[in-house]
Amino acid sequence: MPPDRNAPYNRTVEVLASKLRRRQIVGSRTTALETLLVLRQVVSKARFSNFEQLVEIIKTVGHRLVEAQPKEHSVGNTVRKVLHHIREEYQTATRGTSIATPKAQFSIAKFVLQGQPRKQITSALKSENRGTLKENDPDDPDSFARSLKPVLMEALQDVLDELETVYDNVSKNAKDHIHSDEIILTLGMSKTVEAFLKTAAHNRNYTVIVAETAPSYEGRQMAQSLSSAGVSTFLVPDSSIFALMSRVNKVILGAHAILANGGMFAITGSQIAATAARAHSTPVVVCAGQFKLTPLWNLYHEYAALDFGNPDEVLGFEEGQLVDKVDVVNPYWDYVRPELIDAYITNDGDHPPSSIYRLLKEAYDDEDTEL
Amino acid sequence: MPVPSLTDPPSTSTPAAAPAKPQGQPSQKSMTKAERRELQEKQRAAKAALKTQQPQGGGGGGGQPKAPKNPAAPPKKSQSAETSKQGASAGKDAITTADDTTGGNAVSRSLRIFSHFGLPKQVSHVKGDIHPAIIRLGLLFSEFKICGANARCIATLTAFKSVIQDYTTPPNHTLSRHLMTHLSPQITHLVSARPMSVTMGNAIRQLKLEISGSDIDMVEQDAKDALCLKIDNYIRDRIIYADEVIQDLAGSKIKDGDVILTFARSSVVEKILLNAYGKGKKFSIIVVDSPPLLEGKALLNKLTSGPNPIPCTYALLPALPSLITEVTTVLLGAHALFSNGAVYSRAGTALVAMMAKGHGVPVMVCCETYKFSEGVMVDGFGKNESAPMKVTKSTGRPEAVSPSQTLEILNPLYDLTPATFITAVVTEVGLIPPSSISSIPLALGKTIL
Repeated sequence: MPPDRNAPYNRTVEVLASKLRRRQIVGSRTTALETLLVLRQVVSKARFSNFEQLVEIIKTVGHRLVEAQPKEHSVGNTVRKVLHHIREEYQTATRGTSIATPKAQFSIAKFVLQGQPRKQITSALKSENRGTLKENDPDDPDSFARSLKPVLMEALQDVLDELETVYDNVSKNAKDHIHSDEIILTLGMSKTVEAFLKTAAHNRNYTVIVAETAPSYEGRQMAQSLSSAGVSTFLVPDSSIFALMSRVNKVILGAHAILANGGMFAITGSQIAATAARAHSTPVVVCAGQFKLTPLWNLYHEYAALDFGNPDEVLGFEEGQLVDKVDVVNPYWDYVRPELIDAYITNDGDHPPSSIYRLLKEAYDDEDTEL
Repeated sequence: MPVPSLTDPPSTSTPAAAPAKPQGQPSQKSMTKAERRELQEKQRAAKAALKTQQPQGGGGGGGQPKAPKNPAAPPKKSQSAETSKQGASAGKDAITTADDTTGGNAVSRSLRIFSHFGLPKQVSHVKGDIHPAIIRLGLLFSEFKICGANARCIATLTAFKSVIQDYTTPPNHTLSRHLMTHLSPQITHLVSARPMSVTMGNAIRQLKLEISGSDIDMVEQDAKDALCLKIDNYIRDRIIYADEVIQDLAGSKIKDGDVILTFARSSVVEKILLNAYGKGKKFSIIVVDSPPLLEGKALLNKLTSGPNPIPCTYALLPALPSLITEVTTVLLGAHALFSNGAVYSRAGTALVAMMAKGHGVPVMVCCETYKFSEGVMVDGFGKNESAPMKVTKSTGRPEAVSPSQTLEILNPLYDLTPATFITAVVTEVGLIPPSSISSIPLALGKTIL
């Protein structure tokens, strides 16, 4: 279906798409939130007379947003999540009319195939009959939409709530991961890690070493923020990560996107920090919300960069005589292999990298992997 | 009117002394004699308490040396007539003290861990008979104007030459016995400017050996000339010629089409690259750099400034994983080499070697044999040095943060690369695996080292 240029939601979609394209909106959580708000408008304004139409509309909008900024993976993830929830609600709502499904029998094969036992239990509980939904009613084409929309808005609100409480939920077990008198190494400025460390500081007395994370030097912000929260903080250049690693008890990193194989994209410097940690057998823990789970495999960026930052940050024009003779590289993300990561701390519990694929199966529907 | 506190020496550290000050006390003049006496008693008691406290807190004292220097909150001030101002300052002090007690545990613990990083002190005013050349050198060292193991060693030896030439043996002394006592305050002065490098240590040990071995019967001027010649020979043989041999050896490992990666700036690596490129080899260079010193920019300038600039790529350390895949050889410099094969070098070197090792890229460390140290080192944390704030190049949008009660800024200068990350060490006696480092001094005849 070609994008409906005259649809009432078109303007909001276009505004977000261009903001993403111009990188006026960056950061996984911000983009996820914005995407969700746009999708909510789309659902509330869209006209559809059967479920397939609705899914198609959302997919089209999702496609436009992902095309606008393919490097912000959480946009696509949010669209997938919304589709998943909508399908779930639809199935719950229509269960009454559909042919009674044979009583679910426990089978290992099914368990593995579906990979979503938990979700089924909750949906089974909710399945009070909401009355019959009539699709493609020729007399009143909007009747289907009218009766389904309230349920859908509820589902979207659930996703929104999850996003809004993500930091609290990630950090709720912080004190189980950080113990008294530990020395933690972190880098960059991840909001999730910041919340996690600050929460842990309520119960524990520990020290954080923050690497500056050149060339963005986001670590400085992080160090300032942590120290103002009363955490004993040390700010060091990236070069001393190896020298200090022997005294570090745990490395806590943030993520940009968690991939299906259990690896992740994270701010540059994460790879060297994780490798140095492995050389010293120091555990590496990643704090991230579930919206960062991405059903992608990193096939094309085994080591190299995914995105590039401004070379001016590395070699500015004050080094004028050098600028035209030298190539300057400033990759923005690192790919960190799953073998270098010990655990993911998410808002839905802690997981080893090897079980990320299962979380993905639970969170998204297979048909949405390609938007 | 006898003002009680003025007769007492100023109290040592601000926070500890603060609680003794009664807050919002009335000015001296409005006090009765009894009140004044009471105040004096209180201050005495506080001081006594402080004295008993101090030995306990000694362990955490590593980060505090600057505190006593601050003549902060001198008792004089507390006697001033400005009651309101004084009350406020006392209140502030009380707050910081409260912070100390709550967060004190963590802070002192961290201080203890990092205490040995000892920031280089300001070059203290010159004590004793220090030669002007040494004073000048001390300033250059502390400002990091002369930086790098080779440069510092050559500069030190050259300065010692003029010290020796200007030296006259006092009557009833012999040069071979007395010159060293004349030199040791000079060395102490240099060390106070910046901790001594391993190279300087080795050279000075050699110099001591030469001095004590000089002939008693020689005419003084001849003996001094002989010593200067020895120094010149040391510089020539162990550094200059050694570098030339290393250039040839390492250069022979560079082939056309290679991509050489190097970290920060090593004088030997710079010469190797320029020399190999001058010989017509076609290769490109990736210069990886990192704060605090960003020395790679200087190397980049040297490599590209000639009439025939070498193709270079420049990146900061975090970008290394993205670049390492295309690299064929890693060339690194060293500050010192320990007999277990560990390389003590500019902070970040270990990360580069580690990533290269992980990707199967050969790592060659270029190092003259005079940099060998007999000791063993297993951890780069134990012996390190922190770059002073004034020499760290502050870059980047978010302005450099300033240290506070809970935030400390640490700029370690060195790290230790374990021998497992190193493929070969290029020395003037050949390419050797790091596991054989310990045999080299013996092979060279241990007396030289």
